[in-house]
Amino acid sequence: MIYKLDVPELSEDAGEVRVLEWHGEVGDAFEAGAMIVELETHKAIVEIRAGQPAVLRKIAVGAGEWCVSGAPLGLCSDSADEELPADEAGVGALLARFEIA
Amino acid sequence: MPNEKIFYREGIARALHEAMAADERVFVMGQDVGAFGGAYREFDGLHAAFGPERVRDMPVAEAAMVGIGLGAAAAGMRPVVSVTYMDFLMLALDPLVNYGAKLRFKTAGKLTAPLVVITTAGAKGQGVAHSQCIEAWLMGVPGLKVVAPATPDDAYGLMRAALAADGPVVYVAHKKLFPMAGACGAGDVPMGAANIIRAGRDVTITAHSYMTRIALAAADNLSVEGISCEIVDIRSLRPLDVGLVAASVARTGALVTLEEGQLACGVGGEIAARVREALGPLPVQRIGARAAPVSSNPVLERACIPDAARVAAETRRFILNDATSRWRAG
Amino acid sequence: MNRVAMLRRMRLIRTFEGALAARRDHGFQLLSAGEEAVAVGLCAALAAEDQLLTGGRSIGFALARGLPPGPVMAELLGRVDGPNQGRAGRGHLSWPAYGFFGAHAVVAGNMSVAAGVALARRLREAAGMVVCVFGDGACGAGALHETLNIAALWRLPVLFVCNNNQFAVSTRPEATLAGRAGDLAGAYGIFARRVDGMDVDAVAAACAALAARVRDGGGPVFLECASARFLAHSTAARETRMADELRETRARCPIAALQAALLRDGEVSESALATLEAEVAAEVAAAIAFAEASPFPSPEEALADAE
Repeated sequence: MIYKLDVPELSEDAGEVRVLEWHGEVGDAFEAGAMIVELETHKAIVEIRAGQPAVLRKIAVGAGEWCVSGAPLGLCSDSADEELPADEAGVGALLARFEIA
Repeated sequence: MPNEKIFYREGIARALHEAMAADERVFVMGQDVGAFGGAYREFDGLHAAFGPERVRDMPVAEAAMVGIGLGAAAAGMRPVVSVTYMDFLMLALDPLVNYGAKLRFKTAGKLTAPLVVITTAGAKGQGVAHSQCIEAWLMGVPGLKVVAPATPDDAYGLMRAALAADGPVVYVAHKKLFPMAGACGAGDVPMGAANIIRAGRDVTITAHSYMTRIALAAADNLSVEGISCEIVDIRSLRPLDVGLVAASVARTGALVTLEEGQLACGVGGEIAARVREALGPLPVQRIGARAAPVSSNPVLERACIPDAARVAAETRRFILNDATSRWRAG
Repeated sequence: MNRVAMLRRMRLIRTFEGALAARRDHGFQLLSAGEEAVAVGLCAALAAEDQLLTGGRSIGFALARGLPPGPVMAELLGRVDGPNQGRAGRGHLSWPAYGFFGAHAVVAGNMSVAAGVALARRLREAAGMVVCVFGDGACGAGALHETLNIAALWRLPVLFVCNNNQFAVSTRPEATLAGRAGDLAGAYGIFARRVDGMDVDAVAAACAALAARVRDGGGPVFLECASARFLAHSTAARETRMADELRETRARCPIAALQAALLRDGEVSESALATLEAEVAAEVAAAIAFAEASPFPSPEEALADAE
């Protein structure tokens, strides 16, 4: 199954968010609990960790680039060989945890 | 890196970092500026790079802190003092106004105090004593400069300018601007230079700091109705760029002033008076906070502080009223 | 400064201020009569690289620090040949090249500034300590307490000198201070001493000892000088003391005391004293002549250096 990874809904005043660092490349597998990506708001670093094992399949916003709460960050899947959909609407969300560092 | 998108706070930190790297005389003092990096992380990285001698945490003692900054400046250093809330700049007004602003005059140039006081202002749910915008109080002090950058680029450029000044400068950063991100150039923004941030034909709206965002939103609303607003970000309150505002009003024919502070003896009143001195009598609409303390209660805070809807409504009413139309036709 | 030199300096202050007060155009002055030993004893312990900051009662300290009397008189009379071109007057007189960073007429207003100058010295690793003089009237001010705390915390090289002349205009310290001025610094762990401010030798010795502590990196120190004000608070203020008290107070003249001691110790003769007095009078007359020959500033000067 394909999953979307979106920027979490952060606090109301979070404003724009910078992607700090992806902790892996497209094709890498992440265990549950592993950190996938770090984001930075004007106040804090936000760590996004996998809530389920997943393979990173697409990076929509690269390190140093900007996004907002709820925006698409990337796509993951259960296994590396699943085909990515042409249309990402309807893709369910990856189980993920975010922590303000 | 020029033209890289950064947070507002990074504009401040970058200017400070560059200045501290280039000039040993520059140092920072304030509450929680050291390892903590400032309440808004505006001093991020400085303590790690330059150490505790040059990035100094201080007790809560605003008057002494500013006085010490002024003394150090007069004795050859180039300090930056952080007064976390502008509301508490009031505690430091004696040294700032009675010593700092008057030092060069009273010593006939033998001494001067190049101090930057950086402070945060504005309403953001923190209550009656932590919400004020009192920059208008400072505009009448000869010897003091006051700036209020509204974008990350101006945060950087005006901090550079403030650090290069030869007397005291108050640098006002609105709380609600910190979440803002924007491109940052590599250049200076001179003090005393306003900036047209939206060109328009029907009315000039002057604003500064967070109210520039409100003015832009109001202008978007009004453009749907065919009212074209020119927005001037004044950026610098003392010295004030009357020339640019007057030139804009000469083109548009109408002036609306917008501020988050109080209208009585406020920024708008001063702008209106000076534009009238330049252009002759003209109708002016001032928009500002309601004459009341600003509660932390979100309902009450919203009722006091100008928002895009109120600015659009009052601007529309002003543009369309008889007196304004008559003046513009005449 | 040897003792005869200290006598000369004290005489200069007394005579200079007397000549100033006798004029009709002296403006608003705070005079030092009775307090000369504090100024001269303190300045005897200062080196060229030290900086002195005072409150509004500045004339005695300026002259004791070695500022030339002519320009000082010019400044007091508002003439352009004063060090601040006549703009500062007594309340804000400043001549850093002479180690007189400046007077500031706000009560306790120079305290934090002095600490800042000391911080600058520390950060630049520059020699010289900073001395801040204030009166008993400043001891209740927040600025004093805030500054002592930070000076102690950061071990700033400041000698804080409380010139306790027993009056804040019309109010005695017992009415304004819980405790004694000299004890305030102890709350911050600052070494403090108290000295008889009418005895210039005692003041000089105390200041020399305390200055050595500061110069050795011992952090700030606090000296309370118990002195006495012979005249009213200012040339515009009413005298509040009764005649008896005034008589008693003025009988403790520090100048007379030193003079008597010098004579007794054989360090000076009557005729040398007479010569000294004549020389001081001539010096003051020359200062007045210098000031009177100096013009007032033009009205346009009101805007110079204002921004």
